[in-house]
Amino acid sequence: MMLQYFKGLESGLQNAIQKGQASPRKLYSLEIARLGTRLYSGQDKVAWCGITAPFDVLNAMGMTSCFVEFIGAMLASTGVVGSFIDETDQIGYSSDSCSYHRAVTGATMKGLMPVPELLIGTTSPCSGGLAVLENIASHFNKQLFVLHIPQDESISNIQFLANQIREMVNFIRHITGISLDMDRLRLAVEHTNKTRELMVAVYDFAKQVPSPTTNKELSNFGIVMALFLGTEAAVHIAKSYYDEFEKRVKSNSGKSNEKIRLMWIQNRIQFKHPLESLLADEYKACIVVDELNDITWEPIDPNTIFEDIARRSISIPFNGTIQNRVKHLQKLAQEYKIDGAINPCNWGCRQGTGARGLIEDGLKEIGVPVLNLEVDCIDSRKFTEGQLKTRIEAFIEMIDARK
Amino acid sequence: MYYLGIDIGSLSCDAVIIDKHENILAASVVPTGAKNKESIARVTDDVLRSAGISKSDIHGIISTGYGRDRVEDRLGAVTEITCHARGIKALIPNTKLLIDIGGQDSKSILLGQDGKVIDFAMNDKCAAGTGRFLEAMARALQVDIDDMANLDTGANGTLTISSMCTVFAESEVVSLIANATPVNEIVRGLNRSIASRTVSLMKRIAPDPLGMVVAMSGGVARNSGVVRAIGDLLGSKVFVPDSPDTVGALGAALIAKEKSNGRR
Ligand code: SF4
Repeated sequence: MMLQYFKGLESGLQNAIQKGQASPRKLYSLEIARLGTRLYSGQDKVAWCGITAPFDVLNAMGMTSCFVEFIGAMLASTGVVGSFIDETDQIGYSSDSCSYHRAVTGATMKGLMPVPELLIGTTSPCSGGLAVLENIASHFNKQLFVLHIPQDESISNIQFLANQIREMVNFIRHITGISLDMDRLRLAVEHTNKTRELMVAVYDFAKQVPSPTTNKELSNFGIVMALFLGTEAAVHIAKSYYDEFEKRVKSNSGKSNEKIRLMWIQNRIQFKHPLESLLADEYKACIVVDELNDITWEPIDPNTIFEDIARRSISIPFNGTIQNRVKHLQKLAQEYKIDGAINPCNWGCRQGTGARGLIEDGLKEIGVPVLNLEVDCIDSRKFTEGQLKTRIEAFIEMIDARK
Repeated sequence: MYYLGIDIGSLSCDAVIIDKHENILAASVVPTGAKNKESIARVTDDVLRSAGISKSDIHGIISTGYGRDRVEDRLGAVTEITCHARGIKALIPNTKLLIDIGGQDSKSILLGQDGKVIDFAMNDKCAAGTGRFLEAMARALQVDIDDMANLDTGANGTLTISSMCTVFAESEVVSLIANATPVNEIVRGLNRSIASRTVSLMKRIAPDPLGMVVAMSGGVARNSGVVRAIGDLLGSKVFVPDSPDTVGALGAALIAKEKSNGRR
């Protein structure tokens, strides 16, 4: 089922691109479809991972790697997630735990997850993700290597994680027989650095007023691009966004009627829903930045690859104290000149629970109002459109009245 | 020149007509039936009849409430949060904090000097503590919902209803009845449970509400027992306008006037 889905998606996108309908988002989606096809092809060596795994190292080793939450999001976007989520009731998942994890666990139980060669867990951003990997490892009787991500960027922490990444490389060699070719790694790092540079420029364009981006174009971008780091495809996608945004900024064809600039906190809602269109069409409100669309790390130095990759993993905004996260959100809010922020507060989020009030206070401190929604970003059956619409509309009316 | 505000809530459909001096000409409340359109037509006919005017005399309509998109010939649709804020400002001008408890939502709204919304919070996923909650409890107690306001008279107020979920609270009430707990104590317990949820919602946007002028709108504001319980918990008086159910519709009518005059 999933292989057909990804193949269909891939050929549909390829056709559209060949017919001259290429857009940055289509190229990005095509790469997602290709990854999906590879994951489900039965040919590739698959590694199921945590969100902060070093994907450029894994790509350089020829592993087809993906964080498991990606499958939760894909199942949500195809609209078939409900039965997978329900499946997990039987193995003790509480009904209000994170649906990303329930969906993936359900898919594993129903035989919909490709058999991995191995698993690379990460202790950040949430313990729920690691638990899923442990479940999958025991289900398939495969080995799991866990990267313990320290909470802050001290020299000893960076060394600690860099050594673990080296151990991870040995672990993969031990299981697959594949050694890490240092030339391939250096090439991957070149691609990573190029992608990074282009993404920084893309985000800089998005900061402009009016922003060249639209509500959907950069949705999930930062987190998914991490999967493609180290590949030429990532450079290609980032370059396409760069070219398109540069063109829009130069020709001033961005939305000149952009009235309200918004920041989206944490992840987007992954199934089809009318809220983003409502914001754009009714209120000329644009989500110009997502919390995870930021480059928080320096280019990787070819002489200290493992240390710099370790530093990158530690630097993601979800890692460390909530205070760090708040500071990062304040920085984004100021750089992007936003009028308000929306926090979906994904149901049962292990990482977001407790942060909500502090984030709200931190942003209010700099004059940015926050709307807290109560959404299950994966399970569309819990989507209460009327209630959410009222909150969003009232929030926009409130911002509008302040202007 | 007349302006019409219509508020289509989950339990009732409310309408208010004002004139160009913002005087209320007529107000009407009808239950929201299964078919929104019919309820809208009914409340419109009713309020026009009471005002003694015809639809062609209306210069602008603003709709609000969860069914706001279903009103035809409207100038626009505005959320109940903005409308209640606008309406209460006209009725109790120095309101700083407004509680609006309707059929399935409860909201707290912080108002600026100019009556504009500064912040708001809405109940989370479930409808506990709203009009529907009270309806279910009245059913369990086998009393008329309109009589609940005074049924807590004489209660010593030591009983707490621990369940917040409507379904669990209903069974808790049923077992209290079975244990011969006096009705006034149960009703007081229910009022206190609604009050505690409401005050938490208020504190989300106004951590220190003492000293603020607090008002309440929405159908549940007619229940003086609930209003008293909120006031007791807050330690201050809660002001309720004469027709709390039509505050949203009044706000909508006032916005209709402003929009018609091109001021908004
Ligand atoms: S939403 Fe929260 S609990 Fe779920 S995967 Fe993301 S961080 Fe983890």
